[in-house]
Amino acid sequence: MTAEVKQTPPREAAVVQVRDISKTFAGGVLALDHISLEVDKGEVLVIIGPSGSGKSTLLRCLNGLEAIDSGSIVINGIPLDKNEANRLAIRREVGMVFQSFNLFPHLSVLENINLAQQLVQKKSLAEATAATQTLLAKVGIPDKAGRLPDELSGGQQQRVAIARALALKPKIMLFDEATSALDPEMIGEVLDVMRNLAAEGMTMLVVTHEMGFAREVSDRVLFMEEGRLVEEAPSDLFFSQPRETRTREFLSQIL
Amino acid sequence: MTPVKPQHSLLKPAALRDCILFVLTMAALLWLVLRGAEQMGYNWHWQRIPGYLYTFENGRFAAGPLLQGLGLTLVITSMSMVCAGLIGLAAALLRLSSSPVGRGLSRIYLELIRNTPLLVQIFCMYFILAPILGIGRMTTAVLALSLFEGAYASEIFRAGIQSIHRGQWEACHSLGLNRRQGYRYVILPQAIARIMPPLTSQAISLVKDSALVSTIAVYELTMQGRAIIAETYLSFEIWTVVAAIYLVLTLSLSAVAGLLRQRFSAAA
Repeated sequence: MTAEVKQTPPREAAVVQVRDISKTFAGGVLALDHISLEVDKGEVLVIIGPSGSGKSTLLRCLNGLEAIDSGSIVINGIPLDKNEANRLAIRREVGMVFQSFNLFPHLSVLENINLAQQLVQKKSLAEATAATQTLLAKVGIPDKAGRLPDELSGGQQQRVAIARALALKPKIMLFDEATSALDPEMIGEVLDVMRNLAAEGMTMLVVTHEMGFAREVSDRVLFMEEGRLVEEAPSDLFFSQPRETRTREFLSQIL
Repeated sequence: MTPVKPQHSLLKPAALRDCILFVLTMAALLWLVLRGAEQMGYNWHWQRIPGYLYTFENGRFAAGPLLQGLGLTLVITSMSMVCAGLIGLAAALLRLSSSPVGRGLSRIYLELIRNTPLLVQIFCMYFILAPILGIGRMTTAVLALSLFEGAYASEIFRAGIQSIHRGQWEACHSLGLNRRQGYRYVILPQAIARIMPPLTSQAISLVKDSALVSTIAVYELTMQGRAIIAETYLSFEIWTVVAAIYLVLTLSLSAVAGLLRQRFSAAA
Protein backbone atom coordinates (compact mmCIF):
# COMPACT_ATOMS: atom_id res chain seq x y z
CA MET A 1 0.00 0.00 0.00
CA THR A 2 2.57 2.52 -1.02
CA ALA A 3 0.55 4.11 -3.75
CA GLU A 4 1.44 7.73 -3.58
CA VAL A 5 -1.41 10.11 -3.49
CA LYS A 6 -0.68 13.00 -5.79
CA GLN A 7 -1.82 16.18 -4.24
CA THR A 8 -1.54 19.56 -5.77
CA PRO A 9 0.03 21.64 -3.05
CA PRO A 10 -2.25 24.51 -2.03
CA ARG A 11 -1.13 27.82 -3.43
CA GLU A 12 1.12 29.46 -0.94
CA ALA A 13 -0.64 32.78 -0.92
CA ALA A 14 -4.29 31.69 -1.07
CA VAL A 15 -5.66 32.84 2.28
CA VAL A 16 -9.22 31.89 1.39
CA GLN A 17 -9.80 28.46 -0.12
CA VAL A 18 -13.39 27.56 -0.88
CA ARG A 19 -13.99 24.13 -2.44
CA ASP A 20 -17.29 23.19 -3.94
CA ILE A 21 -19.57 24.55 -1.20
CA SER A 22 -23.34 24.33 -1.32
CA LYS A 23 -26.01 25.66 0.97
CA THR A 24 -29.77 25.23 0.96
CA PHE A 25 -31.89 27.32 3.31
CA ALA A 26 -34.63 25.78 5.44
CA GLY A 27 -37.29 26.95 2.98
CA GLY A 28 -35.66 24.90 0.22
CA VAL A 29 -33.98 27.87 -1.46
CA LEU A 30 -30.65 26.89 -2.98
CA ALA A 31 -28.46 29.79 -1.85
CA LEU A 32 -25.07 28.46 -2.92
CA ASP A 33 -24.66 25.95 -5.71
CA HIS A 34 -21.21 24.32 -5.81
CA ILE A 35 -19.09 27.42 -5.40
CA SER A 36 -15.30 27.23 -5.50
CA LEU A 37 -13.07 30.19 -4.96
CA GLU A 38 -9.57 31.18 -3.96
CA VAL A 39 -8.42 34.56 -2.76
CA ASP A 40 -4.76 35.52 -2.56
CA LYS A 41 -3.17 37.49 0.18
CA GLY A 42 -3.60 41.19 -0.43
CA GLU A 43 -6.18 40.67 -3.13
CA VAL A 44 -9.37 42.70 -3.32
CA LEU A 45 -12.25 40.61 -4.62
CA VAL A 46 -15.58 42.22 -5.40
CA ILE A 47 -18.68 40.05 -5.58
CA ILE A 48 -21.65 41.41 -7.49
CA GLY A 49 -24.97 40.06 -8.58
CA PRO A 50 -28.71 40.66 -8.33
CA SER A 51 -30.33 40.44 -4.90
CA GLY A 52 -30.94 36.88 -3.80
CA SER A 53 -27.98 35.65 -5.83
CA GLY A 54 -26.23 34.24 -2.75
CA LYS A 55 -23.38 36.73 -2.55
CA SER A 56 -24.07 37.74 1.05
CA THR A 57 -24.58 34.11 2.00
CA LEU A 58 -21.20 33.26 0.51
CA LEU A 59 -19.57 35.95 2.62
CA ARG A 60 -21.40 34.84 5.76
CA CYS A 61 -20.30 31.25 5.24
CA LEU A 62 -16.64 32.30 5.25
CA ASN A 63 -16.65 33.17 8.96
CA GLY A 64 -19.18 30.56 9.95
CA LEU A 65 -22.21 32.82 10.43
CA GLU A 66 -23.98 30.40 8.10
CA ALA A 67 -23.21 26.70 8.06
CA ILE A 68 -22.48 25.06 4.71
CA ASP A 69 -24.15 21.79 3.69
CA SER A 70 -21.23 20.42 1.70
CA GLY A 71 -17.78 21.38 0.48
CA SER A 72 -14.91 22.83 2.47
CA ILE A 73 -13.61 26.22 3.54
CA VAL A 74 -10.05 26.86 4.67
CA ILE A 75 -9.10 30.30 5.94
CA ASN A 76 -5.43 31.08 6.43
CA GLY A 77 -4.71 27.36 6.73
CA ILE A 78 -7.44 26.74 9.33
CA PRO A 79 -10.30 24.50 8.20
CA LEU A 80 -13.78 25.80 9.05
CA ASP A 81 -15.51 22.75 10.47
CA LYS A 82 -17.55 21.64 13.45
CA ASN A 83 -14.58 22.32 15.72
CA GLU A 84 -15.50 25.32 17.88
CA ALA A 85 -11.87 26.28 18.49
CA ASN A 86 -11.20 26.43 14.76
CA ARG A 87 -14.27 28.52 14.19
CA LEU A 88 -13.24 31.01 16.89
CA ALA A 89 -9.70 31.08 15.47
CA ILE A 90 -11.06 31.87 12.00
CA ARG A 91 -13.27 34.60 13.38
CA ARG A 92 -10.18 36.23 14.84
CA GLU A 93 -8.55 36.16 11.39
CA VAL A 94 -11.60 37.50 9.60
CA GLY A 95 -13.22 40.87 10.22
CA MET A 96 -16.72 41.57 9.01
CA VAL A 97 -18.63 44.74 8.26
CA PHE A 98 -22.41 44.53 7.93
CA GLN A 99 -24.94 46.47 5.92
CA SER A 100 -26.79 47.47 9.11
CA PHE A 101 -23.56 48.27 11.06
CA ASN A 102 -24.60 46.10 14.03
CA LEU A 103 -22.85 48.35 16.51
CA PHE A 104 -23.68 47.66 20.15
CA PRO A 105 -26.15 50.46 20.94
CA HIS A 106 -25.66 50.36 24.73
CA LEU A 107 -21.91 50.88 24.50
CA SER A 108 -19.97 53.99 23.55
CA VAL A 109 -17.87 54.04 20.40
CA LEU A 110 -14.79 53.45 22.54
CA GLU A 111 -16.39 50.49 24.32
CA ASN A 112 -17.65 49.04 21.04
CA ILE A 113 -14.12 48.90 19.70
CA ASN A 114 -12.49 47.95 23.00
CA LEU A 115 -14.82 45.05 23.78
CA ALA A 116 -13.35 42.29 21.63
CA GLN A 117 -9.80 43.49 22.24
CA GLN A 118 -10.33 43.02 25.96
CA LEU A 119 -12.38 39.81 25.75
CA VAL A 120 -10.72 38.02 22.86
CA GLN A 121 -7.20 39.42 22.80
CA LYS A 122 -7.13 39.85 26.60
CA LYS A 123 -5.70 43.35 26.33
CA SER A 124 -5.81 45.69 29.29
CA LEU A 125 -8.22 48.62 29.15
CA ALA A 126 -5.32 51.04 28.59
CA GLU A 127 -3.84 48.99 25.75
CA ALA A 128 -7.20 48.56 24.09
CA THR A 129 -8.06 52.24 24.42
CA ALA A 130 -4.76 53.27 22.89
CA ALA A 131 -5.33 50.97 19.91
CA THR A 132 -8.91 52.22 19.59
CA GLN A 133 -7.82 55.85 19.48
CA THR A 134 -5.36 55.03 16.70
CA LEU A 135 -8.08 53.23 14.75
CA LEU A 136 -10.58 56.06 15.19
CA ALA A 137 -8.00 58.49 13.86
CA LYS A 138 -7.43 56.14 10.93
CA VAL A 139 -11.12 56.09 9.98
CA GLY A 140 -11.32 59.85 10.42
CA ILE A 141 -13.41 60.24 13.59
CA PRO A 142 -10.88 60.67 16.42
CA ASP A 143 -13.24 62.91 18.42
CA LYS A 144 -16.21 60.49 18.68
CA ALA A 145 -14.85 57.96 21.20
CA GLY A 146 -17.26 58.97 23.96
CA ARG A 147 -20.39 59.04 21.84
CA LEU A 148 -23.09 56.42 21.63
CA PRO A 149 -23.66 54.91 18.17
CA ASP A 150 -27.10 56.53 17.90
CA GLU A 151 -25.52 59.96 18.18
CA LEU A 152 -23.49 59.43 15.00
CA SER A 153 -24.44 59.67 11.34
CA GLY A 154 -24.76 56.46 9.33
CA GLY A 155 -21.42 57.00 7.65
CA GLN A 156 -19.73 57.58 10.99
CA GLN A 157 -21.37 54.48 12.45
CA GLN A 158 -20.14 52.34 9.60
CA ARG A 159 -16.62 53.71 10.05
CA VAL A 160 -16.83 52.77 13.74
CA ALA A 161 -17.90 49.28 12.64
CA ILE A 162 -14.89 49.06 10.34
CA ALA A 163 -12.60 50.22 13.14
CA ARG A 164 -14.17 47.64 15.45
CA ALA A 165 -13.47 44.86 12.96
CA LEU A 166 -9.91 46.09 12.37
CA ALA A 167 -9.17 46.18 16.09
CA LEU A 168 -8.56 42.43 16.10
CA LYS A 169 -5.95 42.85 13.36
CA PRO A 170 -7.71 40.53 10.94
CA LYS A 171 -5.91 39.10 7.91
CA ILE A 172 -9.07 39.22 5.84
CA MET A 173 -11.94 41.72 5.79
CA LEU A 174 -15.45 40.92 4.59
CA PHE A 175 -17.72 43.80 3.56
CA ASP A 176 -21.37 42.81 3.21
CA GLU A 177 -23.02 45.69 1.34
CA ALA A 178 -21.30 48.09 3.70
CA THR A 179 -22.66 51.19 1.97
CA SER A 180 -26.16 50.01 1.01
CA ALA A 181 -27.89 51.39 4.09
CA LEU A 182 -26.23 54.80 3.83
CA ASP A 183 -27.52 58.10 2.52
CA PRO A 184 -25.79 58.92 -0.76
CA GLU A 185 -23.69 61.74 0.70
CA MET A 186 -22.16 59.37 3.24
CA ILE A 187 -21.17 56.59 0.90
CA GLY A 188 -17.99 58.35 -0.14
CA GLU A 189 -16.50 58.59 3.35
CA VAL A 190 -16.93 54.85 3.92
CA LEU A 191 -15.57 53.93 0.51
CA ASP A 192 -12.54 56.14 1.23
CA VAL A 193 -11.78 54.10 4.33
CA MET A 194 -12.14 50.88 2.33
CA ARG A 195 -9.94 52.26 -0.44
CA ASN A 196 -7.18 53.11 2.05
CA LEU A 197 -7.45 49.66 3.52
CA ALA A 198 -7.03 48.08 0.09
CA ALA A 199 -4.02 50.29 -0.58
CA GLU A 200 -2.43 49.02 2.65
CA GLY A 201 -2.59 45.49 1.26
CA MET A 202 -5.55 44.14 3.21
CA THR A 203 -7.16 41.04 1.74
CA MET A 204 -10.76 42.05 1.10
CA LEU A 205 -13.94 40.37 -0.09
CA VAL A 206 -16.49 43.02 -0.90
CA VAL A 207 -20.15 42.53 -1.74
CA THR A 208 -21.27 45.82 -3.20
CA HIS A 209 -23.43 47.65 -5.69
CA GLU A 210 -20.85 50.42 -6.06
CA MET A 211 -19.52 49.68 -9.53
CA GLY A 212 -17.21 52.67 -9.53
CA PHE A 213 -15.53 51.35 -6.42
CA ALA A 214 -15.41 47.83 -7.88
CA ARG A 215 -13.76 48.99 -11.06
CA GLU A 216 -11.28 51.23 -9.32
CA VAL A 217 -10.20 49.21 -6.32
CA SER A 218 -10.78 45.53 -7.01
CA ASP A 219 -8.30 43.10 -8.51
CA ARG A 220 -10.93 40.60 -9.48
CA VAL A 221 -14.70 40.59 -9.87
CA LEU A 222 -17.05 37.68 -9.34
CA PHE A 223 -20.55 37.69 -10.73
CA MET A 224 -23.13 35.47 -9.05
CA GLU A 225 -26.70 34.60 -9.88
CA GLU A 226 -29.10 32.13 -8.25
CA GLY A 227 -26.36 30.70 -6.08
CA ARG A 228 -24.04 29.99 -8.99
CA LEU A 229 -20.78 31.60 -9.96
CA VAL A 230 -21.51 32.92 -13.43
CA GLU A 231 -18.32 34.74 -14.26
CA GLU A 232 -15.02 35.53 -12.61
CA ALA A 233 -12.43 37.83 -14.18
CA PRO A 234 -9.79 40.45 -13.42
CA SER A 235 -11.71 43.64 -12.93
CA ASP A 236 -10.50 45.52 -16.02
CA LEU A 237 -11.47 42.56 -18.21
CA PHE A 238 -14.73 42.03 -16.36
CA PHE A 239 -15.99 45.51 -17.05
CA SER A 240 -14.53 45.94 -20.54
CA GLN A 241 -15.13 42.47 -22.01
CA PRO A 242 -17.60 40.42 -20.02
CA ARG A 243 -17.80 36.89 -21.46
CA GLU A 244 -21.25 35.76 -20.37
CA THR A 245 -24.47 37.11 -21.81
CA ARG A 246 -25.99 37.23 -18.33
CA THR A 247 -23.13 39.35 -17.06
CA ARG A 248 -23.54 41.77 -19.92
CA GLU A 249 -27.25 42.06 -19.24
CA PHE A 250 -26.64 42.73 -15.56
CA LEU A 251 -23.94 45.31 -16.23
CA SER A 252 -26.09 47.11 -18.77
CA GLN A 253 -28.85 47.37 -16.19
CA ILE A 254 -26.76 48.92 -13.46
CA LEU A 255 -24.09 50.95 -15.26
CA MET B 1 -46.62 54.00 37.20
CA THR B 2 -46.30 56.92 34.92
CA PRO B 3 -44.13 59.70 36.29
CA VAL B 4 -46.17 62.35 38.03
CA LYS B 5 -46.38 65.43 35.92
CA PRO B 6 -47.22 68.83 37.31
CA GLN B 7 -50.93 69.37 36.72
CA HIS B 8 -52.10 72.77 35.69
CA SER B 9 -55.33 71.64 34.12
CA LEU B 10 -57.40 71.21 37.31
CA LEU B 11 -59.36 74.37 36.60
CA LYS B 12 -60.57 73.16 33.23
CA PRO B 13 -64.29 72.32 33.40
CA ALA B 14 -63.80 68.68 32.31
CA ALA B 15 -61.09 68.10 34.90
CA LEU B 16 -63.14 69.79 37.59
CA ARG B 17 -66.12 67.59 36.77
CA ASP B 18 -63.91 64.47 36.95
CA CYS B 19 -62.63 65.54 40.37
CA ILE B 20 -66.10 66.10 41.72
CA LEU B 21 -67.26 62.74 40.36
CA PHE B 22 -64.27 61.03 41.97
CA VAL B 23 -64.91 62.59 45.37
CA LEU B 24 -68.61 61.76 45.18
CA THR B 25 -67.90 58.13 44.25
CA MET B 26 -65.43 57.72 47.09
CA ALA B 27 -67.86 59.34 49.55
CA ALA B 28 -70.63 57.02 48.40
CA LEU B 29 -68.42 53.96 48.83
CA LEU B 30 -67.34 55.06 52.29
CA TRP B 31 -70.95 55.71 53.26
CA LEU B 32 -71.94 52.21 52.05
CA VAL B 33 -69.21 50.57 54.14
CA LEU B 34 -70.03 52.59 57.24
CA ARG B 35 -73.75 51.98 56.89
CA GLY B 36 -73.19 48.27 56.29
CA ALA B 37 -71.04 48.04 59.38
CA GLU B 38 -73.65 49.91 61.39
CA GLN B 39 -76.42 47.59 60.26
CA MET B 40 -74.31 44.59 61.23
CA GLY B 41 -73.82 46.20 64.58
CA TYR B 42 -70.09 46.33 63.99
CA ASN B 43 -68.18 48.31 66.59
CA TRP B 44 -65.22 50.16 65.17
CA HIS B 45 -62.11 50.04 67.28
CA TRP B 46 -59.62 52.03 65.23
CA GLN B 47 -57.94 53.24 68.40
CA ARG B 48 -56.65 49.73 69.05
CA ILE B 49 -54.97 49.40 65.63
CA PRO B 50 -51.77 51.43 66.29
CA GLY B 51 -50.99 49.02 69.11
CA TYR B 52 -50.75 46.20 66.58
CA LEU B 53 -48.44 48.27 64.41
CA TYR B 54 -45.98 49.50 67.04
CA THR B 55 -45.65 50.14 70.75
CA PHE B 56 -43.48 52.29 72.93
CA GLU B 57 -42.12 50.31 75.84
CA ASN B 58 -40.20 52.44 78.33
CA GLY B 59 -39.97 55.12 75.65
CA ARG B 60 -38.41 52.68 73.19
CA PHE B 61 -39.99 51.91 69.83
CA ALA B 62 -41.00 48.28 69.35
CA ALA B 63 -42.57 46.84 66.22
CA GLY B 64 -46.00 45.33 66.73
CA PRO B 65 -47.10 42.09 65.04
CA LEU B 66 -48.20 43.82 61.83
CA LEU B 67 -44.86 45.56 61.31
CA GLN B 68 -43.04 42.34 62.22
CA GLY B 69 -45.16 40.62 59.60
CA LEU B 70 -44.30 43.33 57.10
CA GLY B 71 -40.63 42.77 57.89
CA LEU B 72 -40.93 39.07 57.17
CA THR B 73 -42.91 39.76 53.98
CA LEU B 74 -40.06 42.02 52.86
CA VAL B 75 -37.46 39.35 53.66
CA ILE B 76 -39.42 36.61 51.87
CA THR B 77 -40.18 38.70 48.80
CA SER B 78 -36.68 40.10 48.41
CA MET B 79 -35.08 36.66 48.75
CA SER B 80 -37.63 35.19 46.33
CA MET B 81 -37.09 38.07 43.92
CA VAL B 82 -33.37 37.37 43.68
CA CYS B 83 -33.90 33.61 43.40
CA ALA B 84 -36.75 33.99 40.89
CA GLY B 85 -34.55 36.27 38.77
CA LEU B 86 -31.71 33.76 38.74
CA ILE B 87 -34.05 30.81 38.10
CA GLY B 88 -35.86 32.75 35.39
CA LEU B 89 -32.63 33.72 33.64
CA ALA B 90 -31.28 30.17 33.86
CA ALA B 91 -34.52 28.68 32.54
CA ALA B 92 -34.62 31.20 29.68
CA LEU B 93 -31.00 30.50 28.70
CA LEU B 94 -31.67 26.74 28.84
CA ARG B 95 -34.77 27.21 26.71
CA LEU B 96 -32.73 29.11 24.12
CA SER B 97 -29.74 26.76 24.28
CA SER B 98 -28.79 24.29 21.59
CA SER B 99 -29.15 21.36 23.99
CA PRO B 100 -32.41 19.41 23.49
CA VAL B 101 -32.23 18.14 27.09
CA GLY B 102 -31.87 21.67 28.43
CA ARG B 103 -34.74 22.93 26.30
CA GLY B 104 -36.92 20.01 27.38
CA LEU B 105 -36.20 20.47 31.08
CA SER B 106 -36.92 24.17 30.86
CA ARG B 107 -40.16 23.51 29.04
CA ILE B 108 -41.34 20.91 31.57
CA TYR B 109 -40.57 23.26 34.47
CA LEU B 110 -42.47 26.06 32.80
CA GLU B 111 -45.58 24.04 31.97
CA LEU B 112 -45.67 22.40 35.38
CA ILE B 113 -45.50 25.69 37.23
CA ARG B 114 -47.76 27.74 35.00
CA ASN B 115 -50.50 25.16 34.82
CA THR B 116 -50.98 24.45 38.52
CA PRO B 117 -52.23 26.86 41.19
CA LEU B 118 -49.61 28.49 43.38
CA LEU B 119 -51.52 27.45 46.48
CA VAL B 120 -51.32 23.79 45.46
CA GLN B 121 -47.61 24.19 44.70
CA ILE B 122 -47.05 25.61 48.17
CA PHE B 123 -48.91 22.68 49.73
CA CYS B 124 -47.03 20.14 47.63
CA MET B 125 -43.74 21.61 48.71
CA TYR B 126 -44.74 21.95 52.32
CA PHE B 127 -46.29 18.55 52.77
CA ILE B 128 -44.20 16.47 50.35
CA LEU B 129 -40.92 18.13 49.52
CA ALA B 130 -40.15 19.83 52.82
CA PRO B 131 -40.25 16.66 54.98
CA ILE B 132 -38.16 14.77 52.39
CA LEU B 133 -35.53 17.48 52.15
CA GLY B 134 -35.84 18.40 55.79
CA ILE B 135 -36.28 22.12 55.12
CA GLY B 136 -38.15 24.61 57.27
CA ARG B 137 -41.28 26.66 56.57
CA MET B 138 -39.38 29.80 55.62
CA THR B 139 -37.16 27.99 53.13
CA THR B 140 -40.20 26.22 51.69
CA ALA B 141 -42.00 29.52 51.29
CA VAL B 142 -39.08 31.18 49.53
CA LEU B 143 -38.51 28.12 47.35
CA ALA B 144 -42.17 27.88 46.31
CA LEU B 145 -42.44 31.58 45.49
CA SER B 146 -39.10 31.59 43.63
CA LEU B 147 -40.02 28.61 41.49
CA PHE B 148 -43.43 30.07 40.74
CA GLU B 149 -42.33 33.60 39.84
CA GLY B 150 -39.18 32.24 38.18
CA ALA B 151 -41.29 30.48 35.56
CA TYR B 152 -43.00 33.74 34.62
CA ALA B 153 -39.74 35.66 34.80
CA SER B 154 -38.14 33.14 32.43
CA GLU B 155 -40.73 33.92 29.78
CA ILE B 156 -40.03 37.62 30.22
CA PHE B 157 -36.27 37.03 29.91
CA ARG B 158 -36.79 34.85 26.86
CA ALA B 159 -38.93 37.45 25.13
CA GLY B 160 -36.36 40.14 25.99
CA ILE B 161 -33.44 38.12 24.68
CA GLN B 162 -35.26 37.18 21.50
CA SER B 163 -36.25 40.79 20.88
CA ILE B 164 -32.59 41.71 20.40
CA HIS B 165 -31.87 41.91 16.69
CA ARG B 166 -29.89 38.92 15.43
CA GLY B 167 -27.38 41.29 13.90
CA GLN B 168 -26.12 41.83 17.45
CA TRP B 169 -25.29 38.13 17.74
CA GLU B 170 -23.70 38.18 14.31
CA ALA B 171 -21.50 41.08 15.36
CA CYS B 172 -20.50 39.15 18.50
CA HIS B 173 -19.68 36.04 16.50
CA SER B 174 -17.76 37.92 13.85
CA LEU B 175 -15.65 39.52 16.60
CA GLY B 176 -14.79 36.09 18.01
CA LEU B 177 -16.84 36.45 21.20
CA ASN B 178 -18.14 33.16 22.53
CA ARG B 179 -21.75 32.60 23.53
CA ARG B 180 -21.22 33.43 27.19
CA GLN B 181 -19.40 36.68 26.40
CA GLY B 182 -22.07 37.61 23.86
CA TYR B 183 -24.82 37.17 26.43
CA ARG B 184 -22.95 38.89 29.23
CA TYR B 185 -21.66 41.99 27.46
CA VAL B 186 -23.98 42.53 24.53
CA ILE B 187 -27.30 40.69 24.61
CA LEU B 188 -28.33 40.70 28.28
CA PRO B 189 -27.55 44.37 29.03
CA GLN B 190 -29.84 45.37 26.16
CA ALA B 191 -32.47 42.75 26.94
CA ILE B 192 -32.68 43.60 30.64
CA ALA B 193 -33.08 47.30 29.94
CA ARG B 194 -35.94 46.38 27.65
CA ILE B 195 -37.72 44.05 30.11
CA MET B 196 -37.55 46.28 33.18
CA PRO B 197 -41.28 47.19 32.99
CA PRO B 198 -42.65 43.61 32.82
CA LEU B 199 -40.05 42.45 35.33
CA THR B 200 -41.34 45.10 37.72
CA SER B 201 -44.92 43.94 37.35
CA GLN B 202 -43.68 40.45 38.13
CA ALA B 203 -41.99 41.71 41.30
CA ILE B 204 -45.25 43.36 42.32
CA SER B 205 -47.10 40.08 41.72
CA LEU B 206 -44.51 38.42 43.93
CA VAL B 207 -45.28 40.81 46.80
CA LYS B 208 -48.96 40.03 46.49
CA ASP B 209 -48.52 36.29 46.00
CA SER B 210 -46.37 36.14 49.12
CA ALA B 211 -49.62 36.44 51.12
CA LEU B 212 -50.34 32.83 50.16
CA VAL B 213 -47.51 31.46 52.26
CA SER B 214 -49.60 32.42 55.29
CA THR B 215 -51.33 29.09 54.61
CA ILE B 216 -48.26 27.20 55.81
CA ALA B 217 -48.09 29.32 58.95
CA VAL B 218 -45.25 31.59 57.95
CA TYR B 219 -45.84 34.67 60.08
CA GLU B 220 -45.67 37.29 57.35
CA LEU B 221 -48.05 40.23 57.09
CA THR B 222 -51.20 38.31 56.12
CA MET B 223 -50.62 35.58 58.72
CA GLN B 224 -50.11 38.19 61.44
CA GLY B 225 -53.37 39.82 60.36
CA ARG B 226 -55.22 36.50 60.57
CA ALA B 227 -53.73 35.79 64.00
CA ILE B 228 -54.78 39.17 65.37
CA ILE B 229 -58.31 38.77 63.99
CA ALA B 230 -58.58 35.30 65.51
CA GLU B 231 -57.92 36.87 68.90
CA THR B 232 -59.78 40.14 68.59
CA TYR B 233 -62.41 39.87 65.81
CA LEU B 234 -61.23 43.27 64.48
CA SER B 235 -61.60 41.98 60.93
CA PHE B 236 -62.74 45.23 59.25
CA GLU B 237 -59.93 47.33 60.69
CA ILE B 238 -57.12 44.77 60.38
CA TRP B 239 -57.83 43.72 56.80
CA THR B 240 -58.13 47.38 55.79
CA VAL B 241 -54.75 48.11 57.37
CA VAL B 242 -53.14 44.99 55.88
CA ALA B 243 -54.42 45.90 52.42
CA ALA B 244 -53.15 49.46 52.86
CA ILE B 245 -49.70 48.20 53.82
CA TYR B 246 -49.53 45.98 50.72
CA LEU B 247 -50.65 48.93 48.63
CA VAL B 248 -47.91 51.18 50.02
CA LEU B 249 -45.39 48.41 49.38
CA THR B 250 -46.36 47.77 45.76
CA LEU B 251 -46.74 51.45 44.94
CA SER B 252 -43.26 52.19 46.33
CA LEU B 253 -41.92 49.31 44.28
CA SER B 254 -43.36 50.69 41.08
CA ALA B 255 -42.03 54.14 41.94
CA VAL B 256 -38.55 52.67 42.32
CA ALA B 257 -39.05 50.78 39.06
CA GLY B 258 -40.04 54.03 37.36
CA LEU B 259 -36.77 55.63 38.45
CA LEU B 260 -34.80 52.57 37.32
CA ARG B 261 -36.53 52.62 33.97
CA GLN B 262 -35.63 56.26 33.44
CA ARG B 263 -31.99 55.49 34.15
CA PHE B 264 -31.98 52.43 31.89
CA SER B 265 -33.67 54.20 29.03
CA ALA B 266 -31.24 57.08 29.39
CA ALA B 267 -28.39 54.59 29.12
CA ALA B 268 -29.89 52.58 26.27
